[in-house]
Amino acid sequence: MNWRNIRLIYAREIRDQLRDRRTLFMIAVLPMLLYPLLGMSVFQLSQFVRKSEPVILIIGAEQLQAEHTLPPLFENGKFAANLMADPKLADWLHLEFAPNENAATPPSVPSAKKPHAHASGGEDAESARDAVLIAAEERLKTGDVQVVLHFPADFGHRLRELHAQIKARAEGGHEQAARLPPVDIPRPQLTSNSSKEKSAIANMQVEQVLDAWRSQIGRENLLASEIPANVVRPFDLQPHDIAERRQQQALMWSKILPFVLIIWALTGAFYPAVDLCAGEKERGTLETLLSSPAARIEIVWGKLLTVMTFSTATALLNLASLGMTARYVMTQLSAMPRVDLAEGMQLPPIPSLLWLVAALLPMSAFFSALCLACAAFARSTKEGQYYLIPLFLVSMPLMMLPLQPGIELNLGNSLVPIMGVVLLVMSLVQSNYAEALRYFVPVCAVTLVCCHLAIRWAVYQFNQESVLFRESERLDPKRWLVHLVRDRQDTPTLAQAFFCVTLIYVIQFFVQIAVSAHVPAVPDFRFLTLVLFISQVVCIALPALLMAIILTGRPRQSLLLVRVPRLITCMVAVSLAVLLHPLGLQLATWIRELYPVQHEVQSDLEGFTQLLQTAPYAWLPYVIMAVLPAFCEELAFRGFVLSGLRHIGSKWWAIGLSAVFFGMAHGLAQQSLAAAIVGLAIGYIAVQTGSIVPCMLFHMTYNGLMFATQLWPQALQQHPGLTNVVYEPSPGQILYTWPLMLLCGGLAAVLFAWLKRLPYQATREEQISDARSRQSLQAFAPVASEPAKSQLS
Amino acid sequence: MIDVRSLTKAYSDLTRGEVLALSQLTFSAKAGQVYGLLGPNGAGKTTALRILSTVLQPTSGTAIIGGFDCVTQPEMVRHQIGFISANTAVYDRMTAWEMVEYFGRLYGLDDDELRERMELLFERLQMQEIRDLLGAKMSTGMKQKVSIARAIVHDPPVLIFDEATTGLDVLVARALLDTVAELRDQGKCILFSTHIMREAERLCDRVAIMHRGHILAEGTLDELRDQHAERDLEELFFQLIRREMVST
Repeated sequence: MNWRNIRLIYAREIRDQLRDRRTLFMIAVLPMLLYPLLGMSVFQLSQFVRKSEPVILIIGAEQLQAEHTLPPLFENGKFAANLMADPKLADWLHLEFAPNENAATPPSVPSAKKPHAHASGGEDAESARDAVLIAAEERLKTGDVQVVLHFPADFGHRLRELHAQIKARAEGGHEQAARLPPVDIPRPQLTSNSSKEKSAIANMQVEQVLDAWRSQIGRENLLASEIPANVVRPFDLQPHDIAERRQQQALMWSKILPFVLIIWALTGAFYPAVDLCAGEKERGTLETLLSSPAARIEIVWGKLLTVMTFSTATALLNLASLGMTARYVMTQLSAMPRVDLAEGMQLPPIPSLLWLVAALLPMSAFFSALCLACAAFARSTKEGQYYLIPLFLVSMPLMMLPLQPGIELNLGNSLVPIMGVVLLVMSLVQSNYAEALRYFVPVCAVTLVCCHLAIRWAVYQFNQESVLFRESERLDPKRWLVHLVRDRQDTPTLAQAFFCVTLIYVIQFFVQIAVSAHVPAVPDFRFLTLVLFISQVVCIALPALLMAIILTGRPRQSLLLVRVPRLITCMVAVSLAVLLHPLGLQLATWIRELYPVQHEVQSDLEGFTQLLQTAPYAWLPYVIMAVLPAFCEELAFRGFVLSGLRHIGSKWWAIGLSAVFFGMAHGLAQQSLAAAIVGLAIGYIAVQTGSIVPCMLFHMTYNGLMFATQLWPQALQQHPGLTNVVYEPSPGQILYTWPLMLLCGGLAAVLFAWLKRLPYQATREEQISDARSRQSLQAFAPVASEPAKSQLS
Repeated sequence: MIDVRSLTKAYSDLTRGEVLALSQLTFSAKAGQVYGLLGPNGAGKTTALRILSTVLQPTSGTAIIGGFDCVTQPEMVRHQIGFISANTAVYDRMTAWEMVEYFGRLYGLDDDELRERMELLFERLQMQEIRDLLGAKMSTGMKQKVSIARAIVHDPPVLIFDEATTGLDVLVARALLDTVAELRDQGKCILFSTHIMREAERLCDRVAIMHRGHILAEGTLDELRDQHAERDLEELFFQLIRREMVST
């Protein structure tokens, strides 16, 4: 790679973009205008919100004014200020009073002696009350009022009556009080319209006021009954928050900033990427550049750095503009009643900003490469812009999930692209350095791998003539399906390999759900066997086999079943599995120590192991744990998938990717990591030997040993002499001694060196890639010659 | 300088399956020679030249330019060639000077050498007045001049012109043909594709008449005329195409 060319291309693209008014508008002008405009809108809206006070219609309040024994609910036509957490709210809630139509009638005391002659008068009062409520509800529906609070006609009277009874009991008239009927207090009705947010908010406020008022009445009743108030409220909590102001702010910023930054990093990357790829195709300058001496990878890097520059600049400019506007708006809002946000909207601390910028660069690189690859695929800028939505749809959940309460940085989350970075940045902004440090390596590794993959994908797109010179095709699924089968290649294409992996994951997902729904109350070995069979054969082997048969011209070659391996190759594969087994055990232990398995998962795994030991025959667990996965997973991941991935043009990338996909097919994150590392070794064996058989033998031996190890603690007790070779660091766990592990590692290295010497069969893409990498840089010197110049002049 | 052997290019079409854009194309061209690829639209001229410019990869066969293989040594090949085609446009947001300078730098010319070379080219191609004009504001003729300057700024031994006169007016087309002739006289090996017979008659030392991806006839103009007993190149061309169509 010639960095001079990359620098030249970068400088040209930057200049080109800066001369484009649309780009400049998107990058610089829009953030400067957008946020002040949005801020102005918020400001206007807040004025509007302040003016539109919710109206509370209160029916039957007049009876409460007359009851002097009750604590006041209203003062000067508003709720009493002492009932509100924020006294400013009393001014905000606008009260409108309406009399109860039957308020004029004397309070009816429910009594068996109630004269029936009053019945007709009572019915009139009832219908009048209904009419008032119906009219109030109508006003509620139209939004004229937000809440209706209705006090029944004798509500105040009953409250007084209750108070009097309590007082009478306290003064010794228990017998007299006992003869009185219990006071039945009618319930005030609070009506709101929950489909309207304004009404729901006002309802909440009124509820809080009434709660406070009810508590006051309760306290006065307790006072009257001469019972100490702490009978019903024995203690109060003393809240004590040890978080400093700085930490509280850090928490708030950790929720906002990564999200804003990443959204703009993606948006800022997209438009320049579309212009630099699809735009150049449209303008016809891409072919000019492709016929220049710059290599594809140099072109991609030049363009990538340009897109990254704009992505980073957009994110930072937006952040600065947003911060300044938000600060100004919040300062203004703080002057308004019931708004107390300004204190929290101070600028974030400098370390938080530095962490953000540090995280912005890899994210920006990742998005830039992703956008560049998508844009390279597009025929036109119009088509390129269509790809923005799917990119957003995929990225948004990964950005939003970390913001949810309860989502924490753990091994599983740290391995998810974007999400891991957001969680890591959140930890760093909150100064949780110990936690961040623990997951720093997996997050960075995943992000770097994703960046690299995205860049490779972009380079791959630039090398694909079918992408660069893609022509319009009529959308016809039938023809496309026919084309897939009719024009199939000998081995799977790269796209088919990726599709196979996706298909495996999707089937696994649905099968997992279906199996969870049918787990018997007491699972037995038979059920376990069935589940393992389905998860291996149906989920993994079948998609690969069917795709190989339908979509490739040579299914046996696609599944690496053509070459008959030599006996020595098979022996080397088995030996490697044995030699790598101690290292694999140690690796699995390290992974579990660093990223502990959740307690529930651990108990599930133990249950699984116990279930396996209930097998009717001792060999059966080995068949389902070692032989079955060896056949199924190898056919899929080292057969179909690896064959397709080798069209990338680099055997190392094919091995690495197939190992990652193989790891991801294992449900548990800790298992996935260990499996991916073992997958590298099996992938290498597959490429070097060109046959699936040694891979299956390796896999079978390795899994078999791993399963057998679980039974060794018992053997260790029976044969203490074995402690020279293995030991039990914790109950039920077996590890090999260090000298043995070093010896095994050394011997494994010798066997890998032997495998390296095998003449492996390179694909055409690998041959071309290899030949191209051997091009002499010395020959890149300019070819202009003196005679030619003189002739031209 | 250019040695093409059994060059085949197949691509997959949704409707027709595998389509051969080029079939066993074989020819060679030497320094100081203009080699013409003649053929109607869709004959495979552009595909062949795109392979030679390393933008496309052949399905099989070899193409060697200046001793370098187009498939395995594409970057070396691109140093040897200047490629001008109707599809190689100029940048809208770059001036003529900036564009030629940019490509000169990509070809690895140092500052002094590049400046000297560009001054010569701008003078020779009469581009001084468009020196600071943005590509978007240029006429077709001006753009073509910039393309030529861009393609020869590094003084390559091989030049590939793919229907370079398409869309040019008579004056500009004639100027371009003069430039090609001059470059040939300087010892450059020139591959010139066209479907205009007069251009071929005027310029080409050897021609290959292409149709549907393969060569129908190849040789010097006189050889072709003698072989087919037809003096008029255009008539000869029609006869060959017609005969081919009848036979298939």
